[in-house]
Amino acid sequence: MKKMNSSEIRKLIISSLENETDNGMVSSELLEVLSYDFSDGFEKRVLNKIFTEEPAMKRQFEFDRSFNLAFYRIALTGAAAIVMLLISLFLREGFLSFDSLLGLSDGYSESIVCLLTGN
Amino acid sequence: MIRESYKGAGDDILVRASLNGDKDAFGEIVSRYRKMVARTVKGMLGDSVFADDIGQEVFIKLYNSLSEFRGEAKLSTYIQKIAVNLTLNEIKRRKRFFSMFLQKGNDELHEYDIPDNGDEQRNDAREVVNKALLALDPRFRIIVAMRMLQGYSTKETAEILDLPLGTVLSRLSRAQEQLREILKK
Repeated sequence: MKKMNSSEIRKLIISSLENETDNGMVSSELLEVLSYDFSDGFEKRVLNKIFTEEPAMKRQFEFDRSFNLAFYRIALTGAAAIVMLLISLFLREGFLSFDSLLGLSDGYSESIVCLLTGN
Repeated sequence: MIRESYKGAGDDILVRASLNGDKDAFGEIVSRYRKMVARTVKGMLGDSVFADDIGQEVFIKLYNSLSEFRGEAKLSTYIQKIAVNLTLNEIKRRKRFFSMFLQKGNDELHEYDIPDNGDEQRNDAREVVNKALLALDPRFRIIVAMRMLQGYSTKETAEILDLPLGTVLSRLSRAQEQLREILKK
């Protein structure tokens, strides 16, 4: 392989840009000089991750799936409970208000202040 | 089948065997395409220490999505698409990170390091190419990496990047102008 310095490499890149053909701007000389690759042991690390960590990944996936399922069940149950509470309040009071939702519709404001402050 | 016998095997055989959990067959795919992936990832991210991680992610994603590979396109094109997508995601992620914490504005990727492998000429060449590529806008950088480092034609580049041919041609022409300016400095 011919020795090249930085300015020669620059010229090589510029000339590969100028010699545009539909086969790409690739210059075999440039590729030979660059020769990109990953570090040693790359292949082994990839295979280890896929073939030995797979059960752990599966477990994580199963956990996430179960967690999502549980979350949706709890959320749906909660939403249903709120709807039922609103319906029962409406049937009992004939209207819906924030106070009735908090269970304060029957109370007087003074008695609530007394209850909260202890006076 | 032992690893050696997969050496000359076609991609379709390797894919089928990998789908059956054959470690050697998938190892052959990794060995066959690692340099191609390295050119894309390192061309886009620089010779950064993170490039190896992205490279690993590319092959892990490939393994997990092999069942979706229909064989209509070449395996190399399929791998290249995964590599491009993951690399662009990484660039976006870093851009977000740097804009959030460092207020650095545009280029995010200057913290690459050139591993000293004792080959001065190779290191020089990589430094020149990496600096030039990293100075480009990522939209142009990917096109130059595909054309200059991988040798794909404009049509193949458009197919891999899922872009119209006209867009690739205009970006390529702007990338060439920018690159010439950068290299002449």
